[in-house]
Amino acid sequence: MSMSNQAFLRLRTKVKINQDVSQIFLEDVAQVVASEDVEKKLKRTLIYVRNEGDGNLLVIDAIRIIRSIGEKFPNLTIQFIGSEETLVEVEATHKKSASKLLLILVWMILFIGSGLAIMNFHTDVSMAEVHQRIFYLLTGEHNNHPYLLQIPYSIGIGIGMIVFFNQIFRKRLNEEPSPLELEMYLYQENIEKYAKAYENKENRRGEHEFR
Amino acid sequence: MSLGNLLMIMIGLSGGIAVGSGLVALLTVLDIIPRLAQLTRNQKKMVSLQWSLILGACFFTVIDLLDLKILLPLVHLFIMLFGGIAGIFVGLLAAALTEVLNVLPILSKRLGMKKNLLALLMAMVFGKVFGSLFHWLIFLHP
Repeated sequence: MSMSNQAFLRLRTKVKINQDVSQIFLEDVAQVVASEDVEKKLKRTLIYVRNEGDGNLLVIDAIRIIRSIGEKFPNLTIQFIGSEETLVEVEATHKKSASKLLLILVWMILFIGSGLAIMNFHTDVSMAEVHQRIFYLLTGEHNNHPYLLQIPYSIGIGIGMIVFFNQIFRKRLNEEPSPLELEMYLYQENIEKYAKAYENKENRRGEHEFR
Repeated sequence: MSLGNLLMIMIGLSGGIAVGSGLVALLTVLDIIPRLAQLTRNQKKMVSLQWSLILGACFFTVIDLLDLKILLPLVHLFIMLFGGIAGIFVGLLAAALTEVLNVLPILSKRLGMKKNLLALLMAMVFGKVFGSLFHWLIFLHP
């Protein structure tokens, strides 16, 4: 079988397109390898036209591509390599920037919330009594308010959290991602997985509407 | 030795094993030791870090239950150091709790605040520090 009637496609896992763009061509969603003249035509093959009703996430799968290409190139054999679908994210032209007010609000929620959480924790585990006990065991004196222990302790909590996230000292200690970066990645990946499963209507024929 | 004493030993030993394995399970779930080993590039010394946990737990149990007083010189300096280190450990615990790790990605993505992630993180850090100071200095004030 010669190259002239074969094409290799590798779908990109995720692409971003602008809101103003409504036509999606093969070159937008896939890497294409074929004989030179076929490759050029293939890349400009229209795969999908967005309509107003589409959300900001689209799934283009291999079947749709075969359908679009099959009409124009009936003698072409298409080989898919790798991923079987592409997630298309539609980006707004004017990206709404987060408002300062909202940031301040969220900041206050997190600030007060985590402060409250640490107070609840201290009460829950009777930390005050433990501090008094440690103070007694170390000094032999009873002290109901061992500030000498508690103030460094409080500052230490902040240091411990920063060390765990390693966000302040951006200089990498090593190449491994921080727990927060990993968590961000997993969250993003879950969203994409969900979108691939539920945005593609062909994947759930006969199933009850999920949302 | 009477049967009662023997039973007491059994109960004590069983209780200790249960609590000890519970402590280890908690710390394992939170991945604090691997994180510290990774940060200090001591992955090969994990076993020694584990021993530090075990010895620490045993040592403080013994001095607490037997009411042993350790009277060191420069006791006030030492107690500040102790407080600081204990705080760092609690900070690691607090940061590792999955709530914190799960809230931040969702907040930052939903509200379009990916660039402000550091600010949000610092809100939590300062919240903990000031919450803790408030607890000791004002909330529990005589």
